Amino acid sequence: MQYVIVGIGGQGILFSSRVLGHIALSKGESVMGSEVHGMAQRGGSVISHFKIGKYSSPLVKAKEADVLLAFDQNEAIRNLHFLKPGGKAIINVHAPEALENPNLKRFLEERSIELYPIKGYEILKEHMNGKFLFLNVLILGAMCGAGIGNVTLEEVKRAIEELAPPKYVEANLKVVDLGYGAMAK
Amino acid sequence: MGKKMIMLGNEAIARGIVEAGCEVACAYPGTPSSEILPAIAKWADELNTKTAVEWGANEKVAFEMAAAASFAGKRACAVMKQVGLNVAADPFMSVAHFQLKGGLLLVVADDPGPHSSQTEQDSRFFAMFAKVPCFDPSTAAEAKDMVFDAYDLSERHGIVTMLRPTVRVDHCRQDVELLDVVSLERKASFEKDVRRWVCLPAHVRINHPLLNQKNDAIREEFERDFSKYNYEVPAEEKATMGIIAGGISFAVVMDLLNSMGRKDISVLKIGTPYPLPTKLVDDFIAKHDKVLVLEETYPVIEMQINDKSKVLGRFNGWVPKAGELLPEIVEGVILRALGEEAALPPEEEYLKKALEELNITPRKPMLCPGCPHRASFFSIRQALPNGIYPSDIGCYTLGVNQKTVDAVIDMGASVTQASGLYLAHKVDGTERPIVATIGDSTFFHMGMPGLASAVYNKHAFVLAILDNSITAMTGGQSHPGIGEKLRKGEEGRKVDLEEAVRGCGVKWVKTVEAYDVNKNKELVKEAWEYAKENEEPAVLIFKHPCMLLRPEQDKIPVKVDQEKCIGCKFCINFFNCPGLVFDEEKKKAYIDERFCVQCGVCINVCPHGAILGSNGEEA
Repeated sequence: MQYVIVGIGGQGILFSSRVLGHIALSKGESVMGSEVHGMAQRGGSVISHFKIGKYSSPLVKAKEADVLLAFDQNEAIRNLHFLKPGGKAIINVHAPEALENPNLKRFLEERSIELYPIKGYEILKEHMNGKFLFLNVLILGAMCGAGIGNVTLEEVKRAIEELAPPKYVEANLKVVDLGYGAMAK
Repeated sequence: MGKKMIMLGNEAIARGIVEAGCEVACAYPGTPSSEILPAIAKWADELNTKTAVEWGANEKVAFEMAAAASFAGKRACAVMKQVGLNVAADPFMSVAHFQLKGGLLLVVADDPGPHSSQTEQDSRFFAMFAKVPCFDPSTAAEAKDMVFDAYDLSERHGIVTMLRPTVRVDHCRQDVELLDVVSLERKASFEKDVRRWVCLPAHVRINHPLLNQKNDAIREEFERDFSKYNYEVPAEEKATMGIIAGGISFAVVMDLLNSMGRKDISVLKIGTPYPLPTKLVDDFIAKHDKVLVLEETYPVIEMQINDKSKVLGRFNGWVPKAGELLPEIVEGVILRALGEEAALPPEEEYLKKALEELNITPRKPMLCPGCPHRASFFSIRQALPNGIYPSDIGCYTLGVNQKTVDAVIDMGASVTQASGLYLAHKVDGTERPIVATIGDSTFFHMGMPGLASAVYNKHAFVLAILDNSITAMTGGQSHPGIGEKLRKGEEGRKVDLEEAVRGCGVKWVKTVEAYDVNKNKELVKEAWEYAKENEEPAVLIFKHPCMLLRPEQDKIPVKVDQEKCIGCKFCINFFNCPGLVFDEEKKKAYIDERFCVQCGVCINVCPHGAILGSNGEEA
């Protein structure tokens, strides 16, 4: 299983790969991932690679990722080439009309990629008083709701209970459910 | 099998350092190496060792502290990034000649790409330059193993050893096995021996031939006893090509051959690129018609190959000479070497067109919302718009977005460039305002020698020290100006920044609140007038805590009055905040509340008074 997680520095994307890693390790699987630190973290494009299973390198090659988790719509589009044919993407959208671009649609069709857009900012504004740092767990919840990524809602919740600072656990769990609910129709 | 834990490559290296019995660990932070030293402290506390763990003011300081601890018989390490070794090059080259006592490990993290550096230099060349053995790990787990061997080798030959992870090893997250600490039970025992510890030319004449002998002996050991790091992965079918790969490139190649389904390529992994186990390499080349060499970032292995007639590498243009060897790039190189050029997947043309049509480009890094540096740069630029602005290494390099950073070389060079620019004009009898910017940690790192020199030589410029009370870019490490030591509860003593500046001989020094942009604009002008008048540097310390420290401060909600905004983009071009953006369709600025932290500084920015506080206040 190979994931690519993309966003903008400061959005807290590293926590989502920690959650995925924690779950995989508890199942006895090998994990490997690559993170971005330093200059790039300052508001620039960031990308995190994550692989579960027998691999040597932490980097995901273009056209081989199973799942793309995108905290930002533009970063999502910039990194769609990482998805393999039949790959799936959870995308936090702020201007959904861009996804209607005909060339983009042709690319997605040719490669049989499925998009799962979620209006993350709207949801967090409505339910979490605009605390946008919860985007990472919202996206993990959405991934479970969409039934992709090979992890269950229970596994994600257990991992968050074990990894998040105690005073934020409750709020995190609430947001996971919001993400799940937004996707599971 | 010990317990396994997912950790960052840097945490794995740190764990190895503690498990191997290192008792003195020193570093200066720098991406991608920054997490190693704090992790050493964490593991040492967890494993109950007394290891001294300290930030040095710069890499030279850190390396020399570690080296001297080795003189006293302790296992020690110094940790830095590749450009940090440029700073520590002097002691590194010198100490390479010493017959050391305790094991001494230099961990130097390279940054191919580069992701967060001013060069893509390859520290393995530094190992070769200094004639010091080098380990080049392919994974986090291997990096941890190599620490033990590096210490063992260091003590058996009395030589400093280098572990050279690259960014993808440092920042890879992987499950790694935990071991117990090797108990060495050593007491510090520095024995006086001038021949051994004083680098007089007479001693170097004896030590250099000894160093050469050590190199020969280590090369033989790498050939003979290090098959765990230097080994062949034979092709399952008849090999059409061989690949020699080191470091992360080996890991990338192994995954690639697997996903490409190639069974006709054999691979020789080299984990000890200097001194190169030449015989192993020659034998491998002899078995193949052609051999591709993949390593990051310079041709260090390739250069040491005796007969290059079958080699495809950087010297003959088969491998890119700059940039990271990402899987897609390596795949292309392999296919080209096999004569099986691959085309871009056709559908990616559509994606490319979509990106163009939607005008999507990579997002450049910028200062965080609420960052005090943004306010400081704004004041400087507005005070002296025709100035020259040399700057330095740190978050504030991003002041380039506000057109207030004109030249950056390396740590500390803001001050020395200001001197050089002053002199260039002085010889012509002209002058231009010069405002240099440097951070607090960078000032202690290498700013002070330049400042003392400028006072001595009577150079007129303004030095703005942007004091956010942290080493911010690398993730928030302490430094002499803060006084807190790395370990919680371990107290240090604060070196007062203003006193340090006065100590360098500066007479005009003022500390100001960075957010007061209107007041500071006047002070920058005043500082420049003083500097010009008196032919000496004037120093302004802009103080305000880094936003990553999450300081408690007043929240001032702001909005852009859409009537008053004329769409001139002044705020975008000179303030450049993620929370203040421009709507290209409406031609108006607006507040992006996803990012705005309500610092309120931008109220003072709009020349048309269109940015208002929530209660309608304007500047």
